[in-house]
Amino acid sequence: MPLWFTLAVTKAAAMSSRLLGRGGGHALPGLIAERLDPGLAGRLAARLPHGVIMVTGTNGKTTTTKLIASILEASGERVLTNSTGSNLKRGVTSALISAAHLSGRLDATIGLFEVDEASLRRVTGELKPDHIVVLNLFRDQLDRYGELDTTAALIGEGIAATTAQLYLNADDPLVASLSRYAPRADLVHYFGVEELPPDAPDVPQTASDSDRCPVCRSRLVFSRTFYGHIGHYRCPTCDFARPTPDVEVTEVTSADASGSRFTVAVGGERTAVVFPLAGTYNMYNALAATSLAHGCGIAPAGVAETLSTTVAAFGRVEELTLGGRTLFLLLVKNPVGLTQVLETFVSRESAPHVLFAISDLDADGRDVSWLWDVPMEALIPADAVVLTTGIRGADMTLRLHYAGIAADEVDDFTVAVERLVREIPVGGTGYILPTYTAMLAIRKMLAQRTSMQEVWR
Amino acid sequence: MSAEIVIAHLYPREMSIYGDLGNVIALRKRLEWRGYDVVVRPVEVGEPVDLTGADIVFGGGGQDSGQLVIGADLLARGESLRALAASGTPMLVICGTYQLFGHGFTTIGGSELPGISVLGARTVGSTVRMIGNVVVESPFGRLVGFENHSGQTTLDPGQEPLGTVTKGHGNTSTGHAEGARTMNVIGTYLHGPILPKNPRLADHLILTALNRRFGVTELAPLEDAVEHRAADVAAQRPQ
Ligand SMILES: [Zn+2]
Repeated sequence: MPLWFTLAVTKAAAMSSRLLGRGGGHALPGLIAERLDPGLAGRLAARLPHGVIMVTGTNGKTTTTKLIASILEASGERVLTNSTGSNLKRGVTSALISAAHLSGRLDATIGLFEVDEASLRRVTGELKPDHIVVLNLFRDQLDRYGELDTTAALIGEGIAATTAQLYLNADDPLVASLSRYAPRADLVHYFGVEELPPDAPDVPQTASDSDRCPVCRSRLVFSRTFYGHIGHYRCPTCDFARPTPDVEVTEVTSADASGSRFTVAVGGERTAVVFPLAGTYNMYNALAATSLAHGCGIAPAGVAETLSTTVAAFGRVEELTLGGRTLFLLLVKNPVGLTQVLETFVSRESAPHVLFAISDLDADGRDVSWLWDVPMEALIPADAVVLTTGIRGADMTLRLHYAGIAADEVDDFTVAVERLVREIPVGGTGYILPTYTAMLAIRKMLAQRTSMQEVWR
Repeated sequence: MSAEIVIAHLYPREMSIYGDLGNVIALRKRLEWRGYDVVVRPVEVGEPVDLTGADIVFGGGGQDSGQLVIGADLLARGESLRALAASGTPMLVICGTYQLFGHGFTTIGGSELPGISVLGARTVGSTVRMIGNVVVESPFGRLVGFENHSGQTTLDPGQEPLGTVTKGHGNTSTGHAEGARTMNVIGTYLHGPILPKNPRLADHLILTALNRRFGVTELAPLEDAVEHRAADVAAQRPQ
C-alpha cells in the first residue's frame, strides 16, 4: 500500500473525527494506521534526521516532555511531539501522521514522545528511539498494569529492544536498576539530587512503593529520602546501591511555592538554575530534561536559560484568574503525586481553599482506593475550606471525614468551581485538584470563562 | 484512664496496597469516636511482636514480591494466629494476606507458597485478572469494594464464604462466592478500602473486640451518612 494512501486515509479520519467533536481525533489515525500499515510509524520516524526521544515514568511525563521540547527548540530543533494524554502507541503514531505531508515528508528535525510505561515496549522496537528518559516508578492505575515490578519489567523489555542512550533517575531504586536491560553499559546515564535544603518539610510517608532491593529483595537502607521512595539508598546484602549521577543537583538554595533555585553539576561544570515550577517532583523533571539535553550536546547554560523562561508559559496553563481570585489547576493521579501537590501547595497555607474533583473513568484509573494511601491528616490544615466533586466525590468526602476534615460535596463541576471562587476572598488563591477526566472537563469549562488557553488541540 | 484496644497490623510495609491502610484508619476512628484509645501495633518481618494481646488482627494485600517476603515469617507466626482465631479474636485479611490465611497459594509458575490454614481456602494463580467494582450480599448487609487479583480461590467443603457476589468476580472468575469466614476471621478480596464504605462490617469487628475485652454488648451508633453515600455511589458504578 503506498504511503500517501495510508496517510490520506488516516488524515481524513482525523479530520472527520475532529469535525464530529470526538475528542480532537488523537487516537483514531493511529488506530486506522495499525490496521492498514502497521509499519507506518517506524517508517515516518526514520525520516527524522536527529532521531527520536522517548520520555516515560509514572509522574512528570507531560511536564518533562514540555521542558525538553522548549530546550530543543531553543537550540534550533523543530520538534514533533505527541499531545498530552495520547501516550499510547496509537497516540504516537497519530502524532507522526498528522505532522507528515502526503509525500511522507516531515518538517520536524526530531521526534519527542511521552510514552506510557506499559506501551514503551510496543513503540521502541518500531520507532528505534535514540534516547529514552525514565523519570520514576510509583503505583499508578494498577488496575491497568498489574504490579510495579511488572511495569518495570515492561519498560526493561522496551529498553532491551533498542540501543538508545538511557537517562535514569539514580534516586529511584527501581528506575536505576533498569540499567541491567541496557545492551551496553556506556549507554546508561544517571541523574540525581545530592541534598535538599535542611528546612524541607518532613512529609510522613505511607506505604512505600519500592523500598526493596530490585536484585535480592532485601530491604534497602536509605541515608536520605526526598519523597516517596526517592532518595539515597544501598542494599545491605548485595552490591546494589544508588549509582553516582552524571548530572546532579548539588545544592538547593531555596524551594517554595514560587519554585526552586538550585545548582546543577554536569561533569565538572556547575550552573545556577532558577526554576519557577514548585515542588521537589518538578525539580526532578527539570533535572531529567537537563540530563537529556546534555546527552544531546546542549550546553547547561542554555538549558538553565530555557528552564527559567519557558516554564512561565507552561505555568499559565495551570494558573488562572477568575472573579479576582487566583486558581491553580493541579492534576492528581496517584498517592505520591497527590502527596507532593498537597505538600507543596496546600500544607503550608493557613485556611487554604481546595476543591478535589475525583472521577473513576478509564483515564482516571477506575479504582479510587489510593485516596486512602495519602496522609491527608498531616497535609491538609484543620482550618482548610474543602469542597469535593466528580463521579467519586463521595469517596473523597469520606476520606476527608476520616481525616477529621468536613468537606462539602457538589454534584456539578461548574457549580463546584463557582462555589470555590465564592468561598475564596477577593485577591486570594484556591486549588483545584482533579483526576484526569475531571481536569479535562474543568479546563474546558474554565476556557470558556477565562482567557486560559485550552491545551486540547 | 480510658479503655484501650490493640490492633495488630500484619506487615504494613509489604502488604498494604490499594488503600488497605484505610481499614486501619476506619477501625481506629470508629473506636476513638466512641471514646476508646487505640494502639496500632505493626508486625513486620523478623520483628518479635507478642500477638497475644491483640484485640483485632488486620492484614492487607501486596505485590507478589511482598507475599514472597512475608511467607516464612507468617508461617512462623501461624501457631499463635491460629490460637487467636480459635479463641474468637476478630480478624480481617484482604487479598494477598487472605490467600496466605488459607492453605496456600500456587503461583502461575507452579511454585508453592504455603499458608497458615486459618481459613479453608486454597488459591491458584491464573492468567485471568479479576478487576473491577464488586457488590456482595453478606450477613453484614451489602458490601461494596474494588477487586484486583489473578488468584482463583476455592473454598473447602463446609467453609463458609463471606457472601455472594452480585456484581464482580469474588473468589473465582466463574463462581459467585466471595471471601471466607470462620468464627470471627474474615478473608476477602475487597479493596476500596472495604471498611470505610461498609461500616456495619467495621462495627462487627469492633463490637466483637469490645465484647471480648470489656464485655460490651452494644455500640453507640454513629451518623454514617457520608459512609452510606459513598457506598451507594460505589454500588452503582459499572463492574
Ligand atoms: Zn540487594
